Amino acid sequence: MASNLQTALTERGQQTDKGRRWAAPWSTEKMTTWLVLVPVAFFFVYPLWKLLALSVETETGFGLAYFSEVLKDVRTWDAVGHTVAAAGASTVIALLLGVGLAWLCAYTDIRFKGAVHLLALLPLLIPSYVMTLAWTQMAGPQGVLNRVASWLSGSPVELWSVYGLDGIIVVMGLTHYPLVYMLTLSVLHRIPKELEWAARSSGAGAYLMFRKVTLPLALPGIAGGGLLAFISGLDNFGIPAFLGIPENVSVLSTFIYEQVIGFGPSAFARASVLSILLAILALAGTGLQWLIVRKSKVDQTSAADKSVRVPLGNRRPGAELAVWGFLLVTSVLPLLSMASTAFLKAYGLPFVWENLTWKHFEFVLQNHAGTRAAISNSLMLAGMAGLFCLIAGTWFAHWRIQRPSFAGKAMEGAIALPYALPGMVLGLAMILTWIEPIPGWQPGLYGTVWLIFLSYVIRFFILQVKSSTVSIMQVGKEVEEAARINGARYWTSWRRVLLPLYSPGMLTGLFLVFLTAFTELTISSLLWTSGSETIGVVIFSFEQAGSTTHSTALSTLIVAAILLVLSVGSWLKQLWQRRIEE
Amino acid sequence: MNSAMAIGVSKEFGNVTALNHIDLSVGRGEFVALLGPSGCGKTTLLRLLAGFETPTDGEIWINQERVADKTRMIPPEARRIGMVFQSFALWPHMTVYENVAFPLQYQQHVPADYRDNPRQRVANMLEMVGLAGMENRYPSQLSGGQKQRVALARAIVFNPNLLLMDEPLSSLDAELRMQMRKEIQHIHRELGTAIIYVTHDQSEALGMADRIVMMRGGQIEQAGTPHAIYYEPQSPFVAKFVGRSNFLQGNWADARTFMLANGEGTIPIHVSRDCSAFHAHQVLPVRPDQLKLRPWEVGSGGVLGTVRHAQFQGREWLYSIRVGEEEWEVVTDTREPFGYDQQVEVEVCV
Repeated sequence: MASNLQTALTERGQQTDKGRRWAAPWSTEKMTTWLVLVPVAFFFVYPLWKLLALSVETETGFGLAYFSEVLKDVRTWDAVGHTVAAAGASTVIALLLGVGLAWLCAYTDIRFKGAVHLLALLPLLIPSYVMTLAWTQMAGPQGVLNRVASWLSGSPVELWSVYGLDGIIVVMGLTHYPLVYMLTLSVLHRIPKELEWAARSSGAGAYLMFRKVTLPLALPGIAGGGLLAFISGLDNFGIPAFLGIPENVSVLSTFIYEQVIGFGPSAFARASVLSILLAILALAGTGLQWLIVRKSKVDQTSAADKSVRVPLGNRRPGAELAVWGFLLVTSVLPLLSMASTAFLKAYGLPFVWENLTWKHFEFVLQNHAGTRAAISNSLMLAGMAGLFCLIAGTWFAHWRIQRPSFAGKAMEGAIALPYALPGMVLGLAMILTWIEPIPGWQPGLYGTVWLIFLSYVIRFFILQVKSSTVSIMQVGKEVEEAARINGARYWTSWRRVLLPLYSPGMLTGLFLVFLTAFTELTISSLLWTSGSETIGVVIFSFEQAGSTTHSTALSTLIVAAILLVLSVGSWLKQLWQRRIEE
Repeated sequence: MNSAMAIGVSKEFGNVTALNHIDLSVGRGEFVALLGPSGCGKTTLLRLLAGFETPTDGEIWINQERVADKTRMIPPEARRIGMVFQSFALWPHMTVYENVAFPLQYQQHVPADYRDNPRQRVANMLEMVGLAGMENRYPSQLSGGQKQRVALARAIVFNPNLLLMDEPLSSLDAELRMQMRKEIQHIHRELGTAIIYVTHDQSEALGMADRIVMMRGGQIEQAGTPHAIYYEPQSPFVAKFVGRSNFLQGNWADARTFMLANGEGTIPIHVSRDCSAFHAHQVLPVRPDQLKLRPWEVGSGGVLGTVRHAQFQGREWLYSIRVGEEEWEVVTDTREPFGYDQQVEVEVCV
């Protein structure tokens, strides 16, 4: 060994460095960190800072004058009360429905679980304002429900109207139960069967086992889902805008919207104070959810066990009937009611052959310039935001996983912030920031479609990062190292190895960002101007103007388009999995 | 001539020192095993040689060329090294052929003959590892052993001078491991490639390597032939790790006589080999097979022990014998089984 090293050292003296390319990894690494840090700080964090600053900035300097003014206003406390009531009560509904359905799908032997799963996720994939519009067609004063009731009783009756706070709560609960369902389902699948068997062999009956073993283990998933539903309830604008504004019921998100739209001397300052109230509620929920999910005792990496644990026996037909009845009434029937309205010559006519027409579809697709512009705007915005997030988000996820550091972790937190906060808060922050980002610099983005684009990228970036992260973690580091050691340079290893393997997660993220941006309403309702309207804004405007036949026609087209995109997506995914798994 | 060399290499991750001034030289065609417990730095050293990490201090030379020092490095793709990963790291979206042909396409200085006829070269390699005709399979259609063979074929297809292997057998079952050892030895003989083989399994290192480098806490504890490592351990750590040695308490009367503490008195033991590394510790390293057991007879004056555990292993019995305050591991043949709590006389044969 020693002599070996000595010869080695003498040989070393005779060697010279050949002209090979040397990489200097240290300085590059530091530079990359800065190259990521600066834009993240400027685009993701700075607007929220501006929002905070404006709320305490008064004509005479800094102070809490706007806070005390807003907090004294009785309408503020009305809105806060409605917000908490709507988000809270809808979370209870979401928890009951989500946990029940998840338990049936995870452990019992009901059939057609795949179809149940798809239908249960539908409310998440269809924008909530479209679902709300559908509900107004089913359970509004002129809706299918009340018409059937009137026809049955022979005189005009109104059983229930979806407008008002109770309607907001019901529709919100039905929109957000899939969140609870998904998280609970994943946890239930990952509770090892042996733990339940161990409880049974220790003398516990089925009920005791559920209470002492299954429920405590599933609780973090259930609570995480419940909090997610609560945060989404705070965030939601479409449901209270469609169901609350006509009845003069305000929640914080619609109240902020009304403040900004109504202008007035101190509108922005008052809106930013309200935004901070809403942001505090949302961040408290997010923080609590993070803590609970972290505490989860169920190993997320353990394999999902999808075998039947509770055979229902002769109760199975009843359970299946209940599940399908529920899904049809809450997911399918509202959409069908909406589609039927879209075909009526005039709103309120009975649904018979003589009254049907295509003309509303024709109108929104061809004759209404605003709609045509909105469709092309939304396609362009969603496409560009999707592509940008796809490339930058995947690169960021890769960088963050391959070079773990505190800075990377903090930056991911910063990127997640605009998504964790309600859309209305981000929208207002974007306005306040981009009128004049740096004193003396007015880039002229405000009032153009580009500010909407920037806002979409900032809000939905984390969706792509998370989706790509899943694939990158699954693929692992060694596969890339194998490419490098076998001679592949940076681009070659991306092209030949990483991109093909990351593509499932990348495409999932692209679909998510594209679909969410394509039908986005909250941010664009604040940022749009003539010429930069989006699909969400146009549907909202039709509805506010009372053109129900036009809003339902456009919404029906949107639902059809979403279903088409989803089927293409799942078909692509199947194709890919067949290739990898054979 | 040497294939790889580390000169005074240190590596720190934050405050943690993973490697501390390592000097290592691997000769042309030499098979070197880096052996040690997890966290000893053996994998870090391998990753430094491959170019996935950069040294905090020192220099790394591959094929007579400096590839890294503390300021600059040549990236892995320019080092022309073959490597077999612990998880095989086959690309699941490529066929066996595409996996094995990849280095021929991208690696530097691939012999023109191979580059121009990749089909022929890949077929030869697959035949060599016993997978002839499997070109069009995907990795997911292969068993663990077959994946390992593909990974091996991919690492050697471009005829590298140096092959790095990172615990390549740890994800295979016991029988496959024995078989793959033979294959690796076969490939080493056929190609004459220098191999640096990371493992925590002493029998892999003893069985295949020309030279074993024992590592501990980021430093080289001892380097030498398998024979020297096994029979002349230079520290209690090596004796324990490689030979599962017991350390008998007592003191050294002289270089060849160990006075074994036995209750109140001592028993002199004549030692036939050099144990100077253990004089300071006042212990005698004794491997389990160097202890013999026989039924206790009153007045024999030998070392008295009591059987605490007895495990039948087929070829042998594995005993834990309590002697005074200590517990000694003993391996004996199966002729005379002892039962739990039985008193035995322990004879030390070193």
